[in-house]
Amino acid sequence: MTDREVFLNNIAEKARRPRHQLKDNPLVPVNDLPETTLSGKTQDELLEIAKANSTAVNVNLQVTTKVDLPAVLDDFIRDKITNNEDDPYQANDHNHLLLPTSELYADFGLESWRDGLTDPAPTFWKPGAGRTTNITTAEHAGAAIAFADYLLAESCSITTATTPGQGRAFHFLPVHYLAIVRKSRILPRSRQAMDRYDKAIKAGELKTSNINIITGPSNTGDIEMVLVVGVHGPLDMTYLVVSDM
Amino acid sequence: MKVVIFSTCVVDMMFPNVGKAMVEVLERFGCETFMPMQQICCGQPTYNSGYVKSTKHVMHNEVDALLSVDADYVVGPAGSCVNMLKELPAHLKGEPAYQAKAQAIADKTYEFSQFVYRVLGIENAGAELDAVATYHRSCHMTRLLGESTSPFALLDHVKGLTMVPLPHIENCCGFGGMFSMKEPEISRQMVDEKVNDVISTNASVLISCDPACLMNIGGRCNRRGESITIMHLAEVLNHDVDISRVTYVDAQESKGVLI
Amino acid sequence: MKTGSMIRSSDHDFLTRVKESEEDTFAQKAVAKAQDAQWIKREGARRELGNWEDWRKLGEQIRQHTVRYLPDYLEEFSDNVESNGGHVFFAQTDIEARDFITNLAREKQVKHVVKSKSMVTTEIGIDEALLEIPGMELLETDLAEFILQQDDWDQPTHLVFPALHKNRDQVREVFMEKLGYEGDNDPQHLARFARKVMRKRFLENEMSITGCNFAVADNGMINLDTNEGNADLCMAIPKIQVVCMGMERIVPGMREAETIDNMLARSAVGQKITTYCTFTSRQVDGESDGPEEFYVVIIDNGRSNALGTDFEPILQCIRCASCLNVCPVYRHIGGHGYGSIYPGPVGSILSPVLQGNYDDFAELPYACSLCTACTSTCPVKIPLHKLLLKHREIEMDDIHQSKLIDDVVMRVVGLGTGHSSLFRTALGLDHLAMAPLARKGPEAAKNLYSDDKHVEWMPFVFGGWTKVRDLPDPPAHSKNFRSWFKTHKPADVDPKIAKHTAQREQEIQAERKA
Repeated sequence: MTDREVFLNNIAEKARRPRHQLKDNPLVPVNDLPETTLSGKTQDELLEIAKANSTAVNVNLQVTTKVDLPAVLDDFIRDKITNNEDDPYQANDHNHLLLPTSELYADFGLESWRDGLTDPAPTFWKPGAGRTTNITTAEHAGAAIAFADYLLAESCSITTATTPGQGRAFHFLPVHYLAIVRKSRILPRSRQAMDRYDKAIKAGELKTSNINIITGPSNTGDIEMVLVVGVHGPLDMTYLVVSDM
Repeated sequence: MKVVIFSTCVVDMMFPNVGKAMVEVLERFGCETFMPMQQICCGQPTYNSGYVKSTKHVMHNEVDALLSVDADYVVGPAGSCVNMLKELPAHLKGEPAYQAKAQAIADKTYEFSQFVYRVLGIENAGAELDAVATYHRSCHMTRLLGESTSPFALLDHVKGLTMVPLPHIENCCGFGGMFSMKEPEISRQMVDEKVNDVISTNASVLISCDPACLMNIGGRCNRRGESITIMHLAEVLNHDVDISRVTYVDAQESKGVLI
Repeated sequence: MKTGSMIRSSDHDFLTRVKESEEDTFAQKAVAKAQDAQWIKREGARRELGNWEDWRKLGEQIRQHTVRYLPDYLEEFSDNVESNGGHVFFAQTDIEARDFITNLAREKQVKHVVKSKSMVTTEIGIDEALLEIPGMELLETDLAEFILQQDDWDQPTHLVFPALHKNRDQVREVFMEKLGYEGDNDPQHLARFARKVMRKRFLENEMSITGCNFAVADNGMINLDTNEGNADLCMAIPKIQVVCMGMERIVPGMREAETIDNMLARSAVGQKITTYCTFTSRQVDGESDGPEEFYVVIIDNGRSNALGTDFEPILQCIRCASCLNVCPVYRHIGGHGYGSIYPGPVGSILSPVLQGNYDDFAELPYACSLCTACTSTCPVKIPLHKLLLKHREIEMDDIHQSKLIDDVVMRVVGLGTGHSSLFRTALGLDHLAMAPLARKGPEAAKNLYSDDKHVEWMPFVFGGWTKVRDLPDPPAHSKNFRSWFKTHKPADVDPKIAKHTAQREQEIQAERKA
């Protein structure tokens, strides 16, 4: 391997520019389009924008209230697992329900709902359970219900930072997927989400190795540019906005 | 208005009708035209082939020629060559005297259709052509010179003329200067697609503002035996003219059209 | 193996490749269809975003700035990767990068490696090198790359759609032959089958190799954009992750990465953002998946040849491939025609730069009609056609890399177009000189040929013209434009028109003074 100093000095020499000039020449953006695009909208307007953009990215965007949330989640579980025996993925033992380990159940009033689930009984991504256990659990999930950090109106994306209770593979291995997000956490664009993550990481408030922006189910155009939805990740996606939070 | 005619080597060598039509249209609208005989070529054939050093004297000659008459404007019948004149100051960087002269030319140079539309402010040149036609947009005129409005605006007002949109109008015809000669196998496939698109419109006339593109597309049509009439925009605007039909761009309504 | 040798994707000469591409009618149609579809999607996405030209200025600024202070940003990034518990290795050549990764695999006794799509790993030839390790199983997980791998490592032909040249029947055949597939040629069925095959392999792998869309200097994360989610599985499941990045693939912070991600997705596939846009680094305490060992290999491999030269802007490239998607030459010769793993306009510029010479890619800068569609579409404003011209200038003016006779002819053209007395003589003589070659019509293309005469054959480089199309027979001296101009008399100007023109002249003068 080339020594770092040798490598960097070679670049500087070839460019005929001395190193360590950045401090006096920071990047000052020529415009603020990333911030101003779609700015100044109300949460209601942002929700409408997200809805309008959901079909293009094959997202099933639903809105509910805190009190109705358990019933909507029950419907999802019934659709994707309990009453979905014909799904070929169930035959392969992909018929579990995967839930995160999180303090957010309380915020969303979902603790008793969680504790009362029986058909199927939930499996959890557990902090400290280890790589193999959690990945195997996620691999057997017919459906997963996740907590998302933000919903981005412009692209109809959810964002999520990896936590010990909701790992990376949580969002990729299950066959069907639903993410819950509060209406107050709808942001105009990816820029506002990045700003928040960037600040939280730099302030030491957020300790994560991974941030996902997820815009609909996995897809590809690799065979004759024909869109195929569901390649590696979930086959479908539901984003559930809780309107009174 | 005093106008120096930037004839371009292609028109000089091959297409007298295009030059004549351009001069007649300009004179009809009150321009006094001058043709410096020492002009030859903007330098693109060699410059674009990589012979930058050998092109210096070509550019010098053209600059001296076009400045030999004290005129208000330089007008040429080829979007690509006109753009080259606009680029000459950059190509002559390092030769301050010539760079300044080239800048003086660049500042007063216009492609024919933009001169008619944006400088003279003419919307209807009074022409009549009873035909169905399509228009080939040249790459350099559209993307480098940034002119994609004037020809269409002028063609829209030619009496009897029906314009049909050309599919894939953004695609190159495969001319590319020396590219057409150095890479005939690729160029052929490109011009064939262009000819196919032209034929698909069922137009009987193909119009453009770049004679070299027309020489390419027309030459391929001829080789393939495809019947088509090839016309430069100047020839269209000079066809069966009745000056009572002349109308002008409304400066109030068409903001940003006039220079 | 020689440094830089993996960039070549074919041993055939240029003309043979062009011919082969033309004969592959499926691939040619596929490219044209892809270009047309992408044109609509890309332009639509840019229009919807609004202010595209200003976004381009911002994109250009971010990339230019980063390249300008590249050593500083790489230093900052590598410090941050190390403080996150990862490791950074600098490789000046492809061989160094390859050796590092294969030694790591040997040392860690890795037998299963998964890869997510990355051009730079193709550039350093890592697949071949890893497969030399006994018992090694390697899996490309991007669907297109997976198809190419199953088809005995066929070469990619597009930066974003590597298997664009393959049709569904070819894919089905490969799957049947290599993987025991029994279904039909429906892309959905083929993709679902591939999902099943790959999912099983994902779960058993120990090490992943990913590319890197952008390294984030100020926090040591890497940013990856995919639509399939394969890169995320590569980064979740195995204990070891190796990231390969070209040294210029770096941005100051997450905000700049986000800006470029938005422009990349719109330019590459007409999406607002790719389905998965991920920022990632080494696993932190408490997390149970993600890499425990995180290595970043920063690769020069000829990129520094561009620094401090006219070619420096090529390092701004964000690999969106929109220059391929608008290129009329790519449309006809496809990725295969270029003979480089980096095809299209960007490839014609980058390939000789990476190699540091014109030995393998002398023709590429000439495989361009200078239509400038690439320059106008580039989201980070790389003056692509000007860089192609620069290559030509070096090839002709500096190293005289041309077939001898054409070189002489072009120099004569330069002479003839530079001296007015010579040109005037030529104008007088061309009709006479060409007269023996002229053929009489009737002409199919009307109003193009004076006296209804055309030329079907020309000598030297000009033969390329007449090989494809007819040339007008030059008019006789007395009939050319100059002769006409000298003798013509301007017609009288209608008084009303003269008045209007005079008025326009005054307006323009007034405007200029103001």
